[in-house]
Amino acid sequence: MNHALDWLQFVLAPQMINGLSIGVAVVLMALGLTIIFGLLDVINMAHGEFYAIGAYLAVALLGLGLSFWWALVLTPLLMAVLGYATERGLIQRVFHSKDRHTLTLLLTFGVAVVLEDALKIVFGANPLRVEAPIAGATEVLGLFFPNYRLFVMLLGGALITAVWLLVFRTSLGAVVRAAAYDRHMSASLGVPVQRVYAATFAFGVALAGIAGVLLAPIYSVFPTMGRDFVLIAFSVVIIGGMGSIKGAVLAGLLLTQVQSISSLYISPVWSDPLLFGIMVLVLMWRPQGLFGKLGSA
Amino acid sequence: MSSPITTTAVAAAPAAHRAPARRLSAASWLAIVFFAGALLFGAVALALGDVFYLRLATEALIFGGLALSVDLLLGRVGLLPLGQALFFGLGAYVSALVLKHWTDSIWLALAVALVFSALAGLVGGLIAIRSKGVYFALISFGLAQVVSKLIYNTRELGASDGIIGVPAAAMAPGLGSGTPQVFFLLVLGLIGAFYLALRYLMDTPMGRQLDAIRINEHRVAFLGVDAWRYKLGAFVAAACIAGVSGALYPMLRGFVSPELMFFQVSGHAVINVIVGGTGTLIGPLYGSAILTGLRSVVGSFTAHHHIVIGVLFVVVVILMPRGLIGYATPVLQRWLDRRHHSAGDRT
Amino acid sequence: MKNTFRTTPIALALACLAGTALAQNTPIRIGVVTPLSGTYAGIGQQVKWGLDLAARQINAAGGVAGRPLELVYEDEEANPAVAVQKAEKLFQVNKVDFLTGTVNSGSTLAVGQLAERNNRLIATTVSFADSITGDKCSPNVFRVNARAGMQSAALADWMAGTRPNANVFYLGPDYEMGRSTVAAFKQAAEAKGAKSVGEVFAPLDNKDYSPFFGQMRSSRPAVIYTSVAGNDTVRLFSQMAEFGISRNVQVVGASGTVTSQNLPAIGKAADGFVTGVGYATSIDSPENRKFVADFEAANKAKPDLYGADSYGVLFFYKAAVEKAGSTDTDKVRAAMRGLQWSTPQGVKTMRAGDHQAMQDMYAMRVNGGQFEVVGQVKADAAIGADVCTRF
Repeated sequence: MNHALDWLQFVLAPQMINGLSIGVAVVLMALGLTIIFGLLDVINMAHGEFYAIGAYLAVALLGLGLSFWWALVLTPLLMAVLGYATERGLIQRVFHSKDRHTLTLLLTFGVAVVLEDALKIVFGANPLRVEAPIAGATEVLGLFFPNYRLFVMLLGGALITAVWLLVFRTSLGAVVRAAAYDRHMSASLGVPVQRVYAATFAFGVALAGIAGVLLAPIYSVFPTMGRDFVLIAFSVVIIGGMGSIKGAVLAGLLLTQVQSISSLYISPVWSDPLLFGIMVLVLMWRPQGLFGKLGSA
Repeated sequence: MSSPITTTAVAAAPAAHRAPARRLSAASWLAIVFFAGALLFGAVALALGDVFYLRLATEALIFGGLALSVDLLLGRVGLLPLGQALFFGLGAYVSALVLKHWTDSIWLALAVALVFSALAGLVGGLIAIRSKGVYFALISFGLAQVVSKLIYNTRELGASDGIIGVPAAAMAPGLGSGTPQVFFLLVLGLIGAFYLALRYLMDTPMGRQLDAIRINEHRVAFLGVDAWRYKLGAFVAAACIAGVSGALYPMLRGFVSPELMFFQVSGHAVINVIVGGTGTLIGPLYGSAILTGLRSVVGSFTAHHHIVIGVLFVVVVILMPRGLIGYATPVLQRWLDRRHHSAGDRT
Repeated sequence: MKNTFRTTPIALALACLAGTALAQNTPIRIGVVTPLSGTYAGIGQQVKWGLDLAARQINAAGGVAGRPLELVYEDEEANPAVAVQKAEKLFQVNKVDFLTGTVNSGSTLAVGQLAERNNRLIATTVSFADSITGDKCSPNVFRVNARAGMQSAALADWMAGTRPNANVFYLGPDYEMGRSTVAAFKQAAEAKGAKSVGEVFAPLDNKDYSPFFGQMRSSRPAVIYTSVAGNDTVRLFSQMAEFGISRNVQVVGASGTVTSQNLPAIGKAADGFVTGVGYATSIDSPENRKFVADFEAANKAKPDLYGADSYGVLFFYKAAVEKAGSTDTDKVRAAMRGLQWSTPQGVKTMRAGDHQAMQDMYAMRVNGGQFEVVGQVKADAAIGADVCTRF
């Protein structure tokens, strides 16, 4: 009995809490992706690069002498502008062709290549550091936990809740959901669909940017960091259901727990392939994912 | 006489029936120009005693084969494969192992690679073909990641260093991949054969089914066609083309490494197809030739060649989504039609 | 692409007459295939700095046997396929006499094979996989930097001296190179009395090492050895500092783990880290002091082991060519075997049996962003056995 309790406290619990802190990060990334897909029907393959740009913006702002908190507030605003410009300037141009799905996929893929190299040119290839604003660790159930990670979990959770409330409990959210559900009807009801699209894309990009800033002190900043989350974020979005916020949150938290706990028993190298395997199975049995699209859920 | 692939097919068909059998479509002309140009290039290189540019061109053709396989899926079936380098790399490894440990015959190495690619294509297809669009792209991407990671970690396959010491392969006694000119011709012939086979295939009922599936898969089911089987067949065919092209790589360079399966190779292939012209089959070959040369030249001038190619790609996607050949073909076709009419083609 | 030698009779006669005088003015071309873009661009940059500085100094002092050195650069993107293509261009089109600069082992091996086919010599100044001068050795490949076995020897020696019979926990990246580096050090350490209390391998580009900390902590090691590199090190060290793992533990690792490319990002979390390496700016000798000063003046940055070894390779080539009296491949190869030349790290000897340079190895500790020497092992003790059987 004692053994089991020990195992629970010193082996399982820390793994689960670790999984939770990783999970919050993954959910933040997946949220932006799923919102962009749910509304615009656009697969944003450059999402990882926007996450990286967010982190680099934080580095730049900190370099200018601003504090981390300022960077946390300013970065999403700047990222939203970048996202808006990208949507109006690039994505709109291929949006109305009949091959839209393939073309936007290819376009965002090309944008990702350009952005990654641009980051390398501007900031150099070597990794950079962002100091965590909160130092120290707290003792939780006999284990040490860095305070900054606890902060990330709390803030991440708050952000996720805020997004949920925004989408489902405000009239702005209702407008967005209406445009996702039926854009022609919404347009005829006076919704400025073009602007809603661009704003939604900007919002998704801003979410990725915030994730970048929040995670920079934990995961460091380097030009290929955008690829960190690509496979796992897409897997989460697909498993949760493309366009479903509930799906992204639940799938994100669940899958990172699966990864964390499974790494106790199988070699950690296989945790990404494991996730990939789950994604393939879900696609074969239930292609729409656990939940549906933004318009309906 | 081959029929044109472009959407001007309907307009041109009546004229083609009336015209004498000699008349070739624009697409055929573009293909002839490509292969003739390659032969000319080979002759010039032979005359000048050059080895590097000839081998660079051979490499461009080999990756052109990969691009062909991507075009089969993207341009014909409507599926975007982001991990086609998986089959390319598998073919390369199989070929390297055969040449190093069993026999130095080119034909055997290619045959083994073909069989292996078909099997791998079958397995991969069974996993991936049920999905479309981004799902298919991600499965294709993920498969390549998983397998390349496996190989990266397998010491028997050279792990991260790859396999070096692959001997030159022999076509016939005395003639082999060690002679750059001869090998260039072999690769050109092989890629040409793939191209012709695919062109021919597109005219057969199977090819038309694939077109129909690409245009509207749901409707096809109502016509009594099992789309899944055709898509799987196309996937296996694409895997075979990619695998045999990959098998040529170690014959050229004498080594293989896991990087041949990485996303960069798959990504380059997709870029080659888009820039060259999706669905035109000859476009990807042009794209591969042009971009391989461009990468080499730009790379000698600046370390930031990725961004140059990336920007070019984005521009092409936005402004010229049908790619170079995609735009050149109708233009050339109209010019050919005008010439024929003005030459007194009777009604 | 033009391969033309205008062989009119007059020119031919002139060439024969001029003979040595003409040859003395034609530059010796050195090809450099190194990653100038991509993840290893930082290493490529140091290689370039080192080579440029050496070439400038050699040319200012009269060149190699009177001929100036000319460096031709190509970007290999840390991809063996690209490295081979660019190397072939350098051999065939630019007609280089010698080639260097490859960083990862796969590239060095593949380019080495190409060098054999083109009858040229190459030297690596970065790749440290033992196989390059071991079971995959080549008569056309030389290595002037220390190999992994030598680095392990220096570190194991230091560890046995300061923490005898210590409990060691191993953490490496899960791929062939990472595993073999850990295995090599484990063998060297256990031969000197250390005890292994745990071994774990994380995937390459792993984001979060916290899942491994439970196991690390419960095994209560005195020493943690790691062979991660680049960004992985930044993450591992900052997360270890976050969780307080590194507080009472000595962290040691491979020479590629903490380098000038990632040290600024790791910051304070790297303090106390010890590794076995062939070079540090703090080596106290007049040659090194001058080298560091020259390097800093030219590049506004300090040299690291990649810069120093790349600087040294041109002097190696110079000594060999001058000893052989020509740039002919076979003569230079014979001259290189057993050659001794002076470098900022002291005198190195090129072992004839496997083309591996022998040098004194150092144990270095990171302190406040600098490396300081804490131990030294003599060249013959560090070098290890010659397992190359090809020549």
